[in-house]
Amino acid sequence: MLNIDSLSKSYGKKTILDELSFSIEQGEIVGLVGENGAGKSTLLKTLATLQLPTMGTITLDGMSYGTQRKTVRKNIGFVPQEIAIWDEFTVEENMVFFEKLSWKKKNNTQLKQLCLDMNLEKWKDPVKTLSGGMKRKLNLAISLIHDPTLLLLDEPTVGIDLKSRKEIGNYLKNQAINNGRTILYTSHDMDEIIHLCDRVLCIGNDPFYQEILKDAEKDVIIM
Amino acid sequence: MMNILQTRLIHWKRQWVSLLFWLLFPIISTLLIIQLTSFIQEDSKVPVGIVLQEDTALATTLYESIKQTPLIRVHDLDEHEALAQLEKHQLDSVFVIHNGYEANIQKNSRNHLITSYRSDLSFAYTPVKEMIVSFVQQDTGRSKAAYIVKDLSDTYGGGQQWNWKDVVSKSVDIQKKEDLLRTTFSFTDGSPTASDDEVIQFKPWGLWALFSLLSTLLLFDWLIKENRLSILPRFAFIRISFKNYMLQNALFYTILCIIFDGLALLTFYFVIHEPISLGLIAAMLSYRIMLNAGAFVLAICFKNLYLYYSTSFALVLLFAISSGAIMPIDGIINRVPWVEFLNPIYPFLQNNVVNLWLLLFAVWIISWYVRKEKFDA
Ligand SMILES: Nc1ncnc2c1ncn2[C@@H]1O[C@H](COP(=O)(O)OP(=O)(O)OP(=O)(O)O)[C@@H](O)[C@H]1O
Ligand SMILES: [Mg+2]
Repeated sequence: MLNIDSLSKSYGKKTILDELSFSIEQGEIVGLVGENGAGKSTLLKTLATLQLPTMGTITLDGMSYGTQRKTVRKNIGFVPQEIAIWDEFTVEENMVFFEKLSWKKKNNTQLKQLCLDMNLEKWKDPVKTLSGGMKRKLNLAISLIHDPTLLLLDEPTVGIDLKSRKEIGNYLKNQAINNGRTILYTSHDMDEIIHLCDRVLCIGNDPFYQEILKDAEKDVIIM
Repeated sequence: MMNILQTRLIHWKRQWVSLLFWLLFPIISTLLIIQLTSFIQEDSKVPVGIVLQEDTALATTLYESIKQTPLIRVHDLDEHEALAQLEKHQLDSVFVIHNGYEANIQKNSRNHLITSYRSDLSFAYTPVKEMIVSFVQQDTGRSKAAYIVKDLSDTYGGGQQWNWKDVVSKSVDIQKKEDLLRTTFSFTDGSPTASDDEVIQFKPWGLWALFSLLSTLLLFDWLIKENRLSILPRFAFIRISFKNYMLQNALFYTILCIIFDGLALLTFYFVIHEPISLGLIAAMLSYRIMLNAGAFVLAICFKNLYLYYSTSFALVLLFAISSGAIMPIDGIINRVPWVEFLNPIYPFLQNNVVNLWLLLFAVWIISWYVRKEKFDA
């Protein structure tokens, strides 16, 4: 479904991603690990069409990133590492705001259900008053409004409690199994990665991650 | 379009108080200042009692002339009442135009036309007296001239008969047509003020233009508030690009502003009797689009709200001074005429539809629009 072929990305002279090649099948959950600054966000942003690769080709379901960018985007749900919501709005207003501008129409019941699916119940509360975990859930829910087939999640569970973390994890698992969504996501929580992912991509040559993953008998791709 | 409007309404629903405040701000502030200055001026005029004992043409004209003098507030009273008020220092001075005023002037007798009274606290007696005397002298002079003309025509004239009335009215006509002294004192407006019955006169539309400049700049802070780096990635995965989003919202703001401009037009018409004309409406529209385009251009250059606010205030102050709304700058304009030319408010005050700034901003926005978007590289 997602094919990456000798993908490189440099900022100026600094090469962050060096000739990565891998592919991900539909319905797979793939984890992306690596130390801070390894280039996880860079890879996700590039796969989300927000950055151009310096070299290499990417295709999604046969669609080229180079020539069919707009169509590719309609199939991608990207959850940025930084929370991207309107602070001053309520949960409902945030959902409605992005639904109005979305490719897919959804009614209020559907939007509310989307939030409920990940246990985000505070529909009428201003985002300002929500906990970090709730904001993360909303951040995720907004990215799913247009029913994307590929989910690229940049640390969707960072800084939230175990319960919310489990709820988000279960939701993602459910999406992959029941809706055939393909998920690529980063996290620094190795337990979560091990528990949730079918395969793990490891960026950078840090043996630390590799050993943990080997102990857990995970299918690891080292890049 | 409807969808974007709906997203805008979500924003407006939260900001409606400040939104309404800034939309009404130019109208309310202009009216306040206009009313306040006229109130203060009325209050600082010298109260003078005029006792009019006859209602002949000449006496009434004299009375009207005094009444139209900028610094005097005329109280029309009978002699008894006027003197009582003078004693209580409610009046600065009292002038009695005696019965027989017109007849005496026609007889060329200048004695006992007017009696004046003052109190020990009269501070403006002398200038007011001088002024009234000059009015009377004008009348007597005119009358005298009429007699001379009449005499001349009696002595030398052919069949034509001149009478006193004709000559006097003719001379008044000539005086009106060929005003000896014409002041070209102006505020915010290149043309001489229509009447000089006010000491300080703010042009309502000049004030409105300035206040609109301020309110528009402050209204457009939404651009900075919504131009958040964190929210930008979202726009790659929705139907509309961020630039389109901003432009369309700017359009909604412009429509809203135009509605309130119309309200200003009507309010000023009904409250302070400012005439409405097609030229004014056209100039206003052009000015409005220029303002909003300018605010848009300025706001997309800023990331920091407070820097933007301070720049906005500085700009308003600069244009306020250079348009002459705060203090007359004829001196500067005469020496460096381009100061006026550079002021974006100026074309509006001249009821001009063509505004160079509008063109400049339009070109700027178009070139900004065609530049590649961040996430569209
Ligand atoms: N726009 C940019 N210009 C230049 N360098 C950049 C840019 N964005 C990221 N970098 C650099 O690229 C490297 C990888 O950054 P990236 O954000 O992808 O790391 P990461 O793996 O996501 O780290 P973290 O775990 O902290 O989120 C870092 O050294 C960073 O400084
Ligand atoms: Mg990162």
